[in-house]
Amino acid sequence: MNFIEFRLKFRRWFRKYRNLILLLFLIWLSIFLINYFLKHKPIEKAPTTTYEAHKSVIDSTSSVPKSLQNTIEEMLEEYIGYCNEGNYQKAFNMLSEDCRKYEYNNNVEKFMDHVLVKMPVPKHYSIQDYSNTMYDGKDIYVYEVKYTDDLLATGLTNSTYAFTSEKIAFYREDSEVLMNVGEYIYHTDVKSISENEYLKIDVIDKMVNYDSEVYEVKLTNRSNYTVVVADGIETEEVVLVLPSETRNRTSISDIVLEPQQSQTLKFKFTKYVDDGDKSQSLLFSSIRVMEKYSGVEDIPTSTIQSEIDNAISKFSMTVALK
Amino acid sequence: MRIKDSNKHAIIIIAGILIVVILVFLDLRGNKGTDYSNLTQEEISVALEKEINDMEINTVASLNERDRIEYYVAKFVEAIEEKDYEKAYDMLYDDFKENYFPTLSSFEEYAESKFSKVLSLDHTNFERNGDYYILWITMSDPLSGKNSGKDINFVVRENALNDFDLSFSVI
Repeated sequence: MNFIEFRLKFRRWFRKYRNLILLLFLIWLSIFLINYFLKHKPIEKAPTTTYEAHKSVIDSTSSVPKSLQNTIEEMLEEYIGYCNEGNYQKAFNMLSEDCRKYEYNNNVEKFMDHVLVKMPVPKHYSIQDYSNTMYDGKDIYVYEVKYTDDLLATGLTNSTYAFTSEKIAFYREDSEVLMNVGEYIYHTDVKSISENEYLKIDVIDKMVNYDSEVYEVKLTNRSNYTVVVADGIETEEVVLVLPSETRNRTSISDIVLEPQQSQTLKFKFTKYVDDGDKSQSLLFSSIRVMEKYSGVEDIPTSTIQSEIDNAISKFSMTVALK
Repeated sequence: MRIKDSNKHAIIIIAGILIVVILVFLDLRGNKGTDYSNLTQEEISVALEKEINDMEINTVASLNERDRIEYYVAKFVEAIEEKDYEKAYDMLYDDFKENYFPTLSSFEEYAESKFSKVLSLDHTNFERNGDYYILWITMSDPLSGKNSGKDINFVVRENALNDFDLSFSVI
């Protein structure tokens, strides 16, 4: 086969398979170009980390708006700076009016006690958006702030890894960013009453912390008998009613009202602010109006039972929470 | 002017081949590297150091977060094994140095007495606190048998790729 025959054969072969050849060539060219550009794509020089300070831990789809992030970081830096310097008044002044009033009773010394538990010596800190929630149409951003010694300066020499932490909440009010510390989130007046001829229950207000709700309740015995609201005889004497469950008080103490006596008490219940449940009511499930009441401590069961059997009245009362 | 179908195919293929040739040429030119012939000894050292650092950055960039931090600790330990104490000392955080090893010689003395010639690291725990990483490591000498392990903590802060501060629990 001479050169002309070879050329003719090649031409015929090329004409016959030109579409296939072109297709294969284009595929190869595409692969080559993709490979080339990937090879020359600049490598990301910033380290990639899983640490995203402003993305919620509880709900990773939720994060703090970019417009607030710097403000929050600056506020925390300033606040912790004051605490580390021992300038408690300046740190206290940074808190929202509500936080100062309801969490610390406008008492800077009470606030100082809190700081000294969290930061007994100057501390380093790290922040993490923990949970984002809402109250009264306002977005509330709850950060977890961890306080540690300067770990890098010690390398944990002669010490173990330990930290204190607290939830610090931020929210906007009239274009101002406000800060609450010590787990305090918000306060609300409840002013809800339930009453009958024997007892008046007045739920005055509620203080919401990150992991609890505290209700201030005034109980008034209107009768001339002893009214027992709680003495441990029943298991759920005072409970917080949620849509699908009830919660007992965190500390159980007896509530016994002498004739015509009033007592103002605080009831604390474990409840996370971001759990999605709305508190519905306070239920006082086993109130007894007693003609004779000897208490329950060191009293024979038979006596206790006999006094209950002879009670003037036994009832439950529910106070709705707005 | 009408171009025949077969010519169109040929033109596309030739154009494609030209593109490939140009790209390969550019690539080869780009990979030529530094010309050391006209550099002084000092300039060569700096250029080499930069090239090594760039290569290391490329290596580190491909690692995930935890592997990167462990790589930094391994780098420190490797420097100790190689008795390159100055290199290891440079990796330490300034305040840590001030607290425990104010001079290179004090660190050298410590490293000589506390670290064996060959070190094996067993990572037992890893935690991140903000931009600090805390590592729990059992450091042992594989030549001295099973009971040579010492528990040690490392604390690392990564400032950028292959740029970090480190400290450890002085034992």
